[in-house]
Amino acid sequence: MNLIWESMKNIQATEKLKQNTLQYLNEQQRRKYRVRTRFVPSYALAVFGLLCLIGTAGGFVYSKPVSYISIDVNPSIELSVNRFGRVVYSETYSDEGKGITGQIPLKNVSYMQAINRLLNDDKYMKYLGKDSILVFTVISDRSEQILENLKSSKLLEKYSALTYTSDLSCMEEAHRHEMSFGKYRTYLELLEYDGSVTIEDCHEMTMGELRDRIDACAHGVQADNEKEHHGSGHHGKGNGCDN
Amino acid sequence: MKNAEEINSALEAYADMVRRICFVHLKNRDDTEDVFQTVFLKYMLYEDSFESSEHEKAWFARVTINACKDMLRYFSRRKWVPLDVIAEEGEALDDTMEGILEVVLNLPEKYRNVIYLYYYEGYSAAEIAGILGRKENTIYTWLARAKTLLREKLGGDWA
Repeated sequence: MNLIWESMKNIQATEKLKQNTLQYLNEQQRRKYRVRTRFVPSYALAVFGLLCLIGTAGGFVYSKPVSYISIDVNPSIELSVNRFGRVVYSETYSDEGKGITGQIPLKNVSYMQAINRLLNDDKYMKYLGKDSILVFTVISDRSEQILENLKSSKLLEKYSALTYTSDLSCMEEAHRHEMSFGKYRTYLELLEYDGSVTIEDCHEMTMGELRDRIDACAHGVQADNEKEHHGSGHHGKGNGCDN
Repeated sequence: MKNAEEINSALEAYADMVRRICFVHLKNRDDTEDVFQTVFLKYMLYEDSFESSEHEKAWFARVTINACKDMLRYFSRRKWVPLDVIAEEGEALDDTMEGILEVVLNLPEKYRNVIYLYYYEGYSAAEIAGILGRKENTIYTWLARAKTLLREKLGGDWA
């Protein structure tokens, strides 16, 4: 460590500078594509131009989510991620969750940065007690890549987080029940073992409680003993909802 | 052309370094944003692949330094006042750090480059020679002269 290093460590690229650059690169990509299409028949170009105008106006590309990550412990928080891997929306269905998303800036940063901010936040860490279970559920065409990034995170390893994938129809159903798709996926898993459980019951339960019920049903032993077998890198496909 | 995922990864990995090199060379934030965007546009259009992350990082350092030089050539008559550049950083810097940066930014351009690459990025003289396209001995000479100038202004405890 030296004084030159010390004096410069706070000179950093701001999020605004990064965002402006991403939008600039988007515009340049579109411009390059327009130049390439100069020799396309004019009517086709006109139709294409109109579609471009409708489809890509403003920050459409930037603000359009293509992947979704549900982070569930209790509360649940959903991140909508654009094609650049940046969080464009965060959604939660409980007052506790709203308290957290209102306090931690999660938008316009990479999803890994947003997750790190969340897991390093004092208020959020209170929910990550030793009896709690942290679950990440991903919906994306690039879910393998996202899961790989999540699994390589030291923080996820620290909390022995579980990871799953799901799909858009499951997310739609979950949102109709005002629930994150990660928690809804777990509810569907429990439903396979215990047909008596209702969505209302599930609303009241934490992810740890849901997981305990599933384990108890699956293995027929006390849930407390089962917890010791939960490890990081657990990975499965979503239950139900698959089209 | 690089895809969105590659661009985003590069932005996460190198944005701060590109920003710092701009800070060492340029006159204000508008110029910085121009160069910053130019560098990442060049990356987006770069067709070849990189041998390693070190190779990629050195490419960013070299392209940013060259883009800064181009920008300075273009605005060669504009007066550069290091204190203004430092003032733009606002609360990010305390008085001590501002004092050190003022001395660094007042060094001749070639010394600023080697000081930044050597002391902040931790490159060796041979690596800096590769990035700047100079002989290794030249880099040693520049480093020695830059260190002497810094020692005169900052005393002996700055590194």
